[in-house]
This record gives sequence, C-alpha cells and structure tokens, in this order.
Amino acid sequence: MPHHLPWYIVGPLLGLCPVVLYAVANKHLGASAAYSQAARVLVRRVSEPWRVYFFVGLVIGAVAAAVLKGGPQFHLGYEFIYGWMPLWGAVGVLFASGLAMGYGARWAGGCTSGHGLCGMSIRSAGSFAAALTFFATAVAISLALNWATGNRT
Amino acid sequence: MSRSTRVNVTGLGVGAAFGFLIQAAGFGDADFIHRMLLLQSWYPWEVFAAAIAVGGAAFWLLERRRWVTPLGGQLKLNRTSIKPRHFYGGMLFGSGWAFSTTCPVPAIAMVASGGVLGLVVKSGLFTGIMFGDRVAGGHHHARLLPPAA
Repeated sequence: MPHHLPWYIVGPLLGLCPVVLYAVANKHLGASAAYSQAARVLVRRVSEPWRVYFFVGLVIGAVAAAVLKGGPQFHLGYEFIYGWMPLWGAVGVLFASGLAMGYGARWAGGCTSGHGLCGMSIRSAGSFAAALTFFATAVAISLALNWATGNRT
Repeated sequence: MSRSTRVNVTGLGVGAAFGFLIQAAGFGDADFIHRMLLLQSWYPWEVFAAAIAVGGAAFWLLERRRWVTPLGGQLKLNRTSIKPRHFYGGMLFGSGWAFSTTCPVPAIAMVASGGVLGLVVKSGLFTGIMFGDRVAGGHHHARLLPPAA
C-alpha cells in the first residue's frame, strides 16, 4: 500500500464512516468519547459499551493498515520536530499536549472527529465553532512556533 | 443477536474502517499533520474537505428521506448550538494539537505504525479526558462539560 492513498478516494470513504454509524445505529461518531469509555473499562463504569468497541476497532484498523504498509517500524516519531530537544523535554511537551487535547476535547464536547468530521457533516453550529477554533488555534501556534524557533519546529 | 450486541458490532466495524482509513491516509505520521498545520501540505485539508462534502451530502439525503435506522429508530442528528465552551475548549485542544501534531485517532495510528512517542501523547490524552470527566461530574462544571461527541 502507498504511504497515502489519493485524497479523492480516502476523503469520501472517511466521510461515509459517520454516515454509516448514524444510518445503522443512530450514534454520533467521536474519538474523545471513545477514549473516555475505554478508560472507564478499568473501573467498570462503562455507560456506552459500543464506544469501547469503536475504540478497539480503531486500533485494529490502524494496525491492519500499518501492516499493509510494511510496518510497524519502531521509531521515536518526532525527530523532525523535537530532535533538537533532550528526550525528557520532548516527553514532557508531548504529555502536556495530550493532556491539553484531552481536557479541551471534553470541554468543547468533542474533538477533530466528533466536531470536525461528524459535527460539521451534520451542519451543527456548535461543531463548526469548535472545529474552526481547533484549526485556527493549531495553525496560528504552529506558524508562530516555526517562526520563533527559526524553522526548527 | 441482541440489539445492543449489533450496535457494538457496528461500532467495532465503523471503528476498524475509520482507523484503517486514517492510517491509509498517512495521518499516523506526525510530520504529516505538522506540515498540514504549517500550511505546507494541502493533502490533509483536501481529505478533510472531501470527507465533509460527501458526509454532508449523505446526511442531507438521509434527513430528507426521514431515515429510520435499523438499530436506533428514527434518525436524529445530534446538533448543538454555539456555546462559549466550544471556543474555550477548542483553543485548549488546538494548542495541544499544535505541539503534539497529532490528535486522538491519528495518535492511535501513530502508535500502530511504530511511533513510540505516540504512547506519551495517548497517555496525556487519557489523563486529560479522565480529568475532564471528573470535573464534568462536579457541580460547578456540569453545565460546561456535556457528554463528548
């Protein structure tokens, strides 16, 4: 399988995922809620079991595609961005970033899949507001960091 | 097979397809999203736009036909009106996204393709989400943190 499939194939197929989920089960696709439910398995407080299955499916699908691409190939994964930092520094930044995304997703009521893909597809005003805020903030900070670090990040 | 089991199987199948496509599109590579956010690569934006265009058209058609779902009754799309939390939470999420150059599903894809530091991002995501859930259960923030989509 190539590194990435053409956008006009993979884009429409991705767009159909939330459609199938709604059309069959009347459920809203979202990854942050799937993380939340998957975490609750540990304390046996799962309220939406199908989201745990969705999470497991994400892992299975991602692994299957990785294998078809000839992987997995183990590597750190951030050499191009944080290669100039000590490893402990990169770990700290990445953990804090994940923390901000996780809390932010719960605060906003969804993430890039729940608001950005599914919410915008169903023309939800709140999802448009949240997703456009995700994108604008991430692009602005990325460009600012790139400028501030002399194109090192 | 009970209805709840069929819903679970649907979740598993759609999740597998979604995870496969995210990996197939290349979102498991942190540099891929990094170049997207630096506006150096338009491919991810094209994928996203195509997904929303096709999904939007399909949802419009389902609503127009008053679709009755096999497992969940009459189709009811979960739309929300604009609230301040969409902006506050969105800015926090976008900040984390800029520094990690991945988001919840691509983080799974990154780890699946062997990106070890993706595990650190996923740990942070789980911690942040569980903390968010804990706060959502509190009296003060209950109205700020509805169940996530």
